[in-house]
Amino acid sequence: MLYAIITMLVLGALLGLGLGIASKYLAVKEDERIEMVTQMLPNYNCGSCGYPGCSGLAQALVNGEVTTVGTCRPCKADQKEAIAEYLNKTPGPDGKCLKVKV
Amino acid sequence: MGDLFSLFIASVFIQNIILTQFLGMCPFMGVSRNSSSAIGMGGAVTFVIVASSLVTYGLYHGVLLPLNLAYMDLITFILVIASLVQLTEMIIKKVSPSLYKSLGVYLPLITTNCAVLHVALENINKGHDFAQMLTYSIAIPIGFTLVLYIFSTIRERLDVSKVPNALKGNPIALIVAGIMALAFSGLAGLV
Repeated sequence: MLYAIITMLVLGALLGLGLGIASKYLAVKEDERIEMVTQMLPNYNCGSCGYPGCSGLAQALVNGEVTTVGTCRPCKADQKEAIAEYLNKTPGPDGKCLKVKV
Repeated sequence: MGDLFSLFIASVFIQNIILTQFLGMCPFMGVSRNSSSAIGMGGAVTFVIVASSLVTYGLYHGVLLPLNLAYMDLITFILVIASLVQLTEMIIKKVSPSLYKSLGVYLPLITTNCAVLHVALENINKGHDFAQMLTYSIAIPIGFTLVLYIFSTIRERLDVSKVPNALKGNPIALIVAGIMALAFSGLAGLV
């Protein structure tokens, strides 16, 4: 019994460590704005925008697939304005700002 | 050597993982819409199966058996497979974002692909030695990729052909899969 627990703990720790190291070496640089917009959205993950979750809509907004924040139905007016302002003022990796409507 | 060859042929064709054992059906239906993503999926599954078989075989014979923990095999194997799938996901995301996108949710679902666990467990249950284990864990994903690729080319043709309305999409694909399984059952008894 004791050996079983120790084996599982050691194995889990080793695999976790390996994955942690691998994630550092294999990290993919993502647009910071996606993360920010995801946090600014309501995060209900209701899906009424047509994307599987809030992170999907955030990605679409940053990629320019969606140009109105109003696609998010449960989003409140001041939240929408904050997101639009953030996207219109923050330059992406290419140095350009997006043009997003509220 | 001849034994290994017949094990290889038997695992690829006669005991085909999808069409005679009906394991790994989820990616078989899900990622077979176009042939390039089918090849990508086959590659990912091949990598996961070969790597996980090597690790689980080593763990079973090096750690679990000496410590009398053979009953822990299932949970240990799942742990190893889950981490290897995570690793594969990271590698694919880094190397080929387009493949990452086309595989979508089916990439993390390799974790629950019963074909992977099947190979790891069969290596133990059938008492394979190292060479047999390696042959078996390469042959099974080759059979998987082969069938997935054939099926995806058929589905590409189905997309442009006239199918009765009631059978459009998945229903006709399931019928085709059934006919393919019938065809493969004709190979039984070859080796």
